[in-house]
Amino acid sequence: MNLVACSVVDNREITPGNFLLTLKVPRGFSRPEPGQFVHLRVSPEVEPLLRRPYSLEGFFERGNLRAVRIYYSVVGRGSKVLSAQPKGQRLDLIGPLGLGFSPRPRRVPILVAGGRGVAPLLFFARKLRQKKRPFIFLFGARGARELYGVREIKGGRLHLATDDGSVGYHGSVLTLLEREWESGEHTPLTAEVFTCGPHGLLHGIAELARANGIRCEASLEGPMACAVGACRGCPVPLRAGAVENGGRYPAMCLEGPVMDATIVDWDRLP
Amino acid sequence: MTRPAPSLDVRIGSLALRNPVLVASGIIGYGAEYERLVDLSAIGGIVTKTVTRRARAGNPPPRVVETPSGMLNSIGIENPGLEGFLETKVPILSQLPCAVIVSVEGEDVREFCELVEGVSGSGVAHAIEVNISCPNVGPHGMRYSTDADMAREVMTAIRPLTSLPLIAKLTPNVTRIADIAVACESCGADAVSLVNTFVGMAVDSVTRKPILGTVLGGLSGPAIKPLALAKTWEVVQAVDIPVIGMGGITHPRDALEFLLVGSTAVQVGTALFANPSLPEDCVNEIETYLRRSDLASIGDLIGALEVPVAPRARRGSAS
Repeated sequence: MNLVACSVVDNREITPGNFLLTLKVPRGFSRPEPGQFVHLRVSPEVEPLLRRPYSLEGFFERGNLRAVRIYYSVVGRGSKVLSAQPKGQRLDLIGPLGLGFSPRPRRVPILVAGGRGVAPLLFFARKLRQKKRPFIFLFGARGARELYGVREIKGGRLHLATDDGSVGYHGSVLTLLEREWESGEHTPLTAEVFTCGPHGLLHGIAELARANGIRCEASLEGPMACAVGACRGCPVPLRAGAVENGGRYPAMCLEGPVMDATIVDWDRLP
Repeated sequence: MTRPAPSLDVRIGSLALRNPVLVASGIIGYGAEYERLVDLSAIGGIVTKTVTRRARAGNPPPRVVETPSGMLNSIGIENPGLEGFLETKVPILSQLPCAVIVSVEGEDVREFCELVEGVSGSGVAHAIEVNISCPNVGPHGMRYSTDADMAREVMTAIRPLTSLPLIAKLTPNVTRIADIAVACESCGADAVSLVNTFVGMAVDSVTRKPILGTVLGGLSGPAIKPLALAKTWEVVQAVDIPVIGMGGITHPRDALEFLLVGSTAVQVGTALFANPSLPEDCVNEIETYLRRSDLASIGDLIGALEVPVAPRARRGSAS
């Protein structure tokens, strides 16, 4: 983890409101793991006041060039300001930060993405492919336009779901996961779930995982001030009785953003 | 001809600081969290996250929300408690290359006494900041700094327990902050630091809910700087002990403003989250300013504000 200067290589609106940002980073930026994030200053100005945490969609090295990619939606002040940063703009970031996905050996990873939550899972799928590990990728979004990155998912079995039925299964990606599990192909000893998306979806996936004893890691999202564990501003509520609870709130920035989904108290997580 | 470098050292009671720039409590944890981002050897010191008598899990989420030019927080002093602090944090703090000011907060006078004795006995603290102004820990949090009698009670009780400099941290959520500062001074405080955060609130009109888990929180950031400067100015007029000013320092020149108003030292807070080099930048700015102004020492800068007319009385004298 370091504070490094970076510059905008590309910042493109690929579908209305959804952007793909490529940032050139120096060699001082260490190789990130899928699921890790960076704390990005979204503008050289003082406003917005705080950095914004973004999961990485990818990390690329060519010769001496290193770049990270962030897939984001314009949802508030920070992302709006970020979307206006032109090519060549100098910014800085702290990272890579947090804990990424940690697949167990000899288990089939089932990746479940909801909407823009696909970002860290695309990074993860690319890495699994490099390691020649087979995986299953279930991707749900509102419509076909929001299925960012589907053509990049290679080396795994892919199933799509859309709320409007424009592509793939007409309904929730949670149903795809239920069907996948009910196919009888998997057991908790042969497969595990990695997910990222809206917290409502993650809640449903966590319930399914808990009911079936499936190991399940979810990448969480939330506001952060310092992102290095100092300010304690990003607490994750745990279920009463969950392992290691003891009434404490792990910091999302340090003990997440990827966490065991079955110990999170999703009702109390904003 | 090269002049000698201007002197930046200041004194807070018996504590000598190599320069007047500190990091505020609740910002940098216990120092180690920011080890790779903030050069602690370049600044005067840090104030630790507040230590309470018993461990605290902190408040339910959300705990932070950004507001225009500011941040509202409701952390609730998540910390390992005095025993946990002594066991796990003191070894870390003893390695830091800067002054360590330990912040403490008690639910009652007895707890304040136990904390001051415990922290003092640890040997790691160069001074103790007495947090009598936290807005986020329930009714007891601000009680001791919104009532001069209660401030006197706690300061009187802890003063005999330590020879370390005692810094009373004050809340701005009062009508006359100078009265509280004077009360602390009269009971042996070596300094006062101000301001803690202003009580604030953020509302989501879509969900019709408060954004913070505890409804109310404390506002910090550049939005409060003019308010903080005014409170600092008010207190500087009223006490003879050093005043440590803070509230919204975002640009290095903001630190100069607090010094000009009469602060002996300053604390950098929220803006450090965006710019970890801000404390060091403040030190450099002060040094550059002294050189440019041909001043030999920071003492020539502290309180050097040139007020064109006599400062008006506290209230009601003009409109």
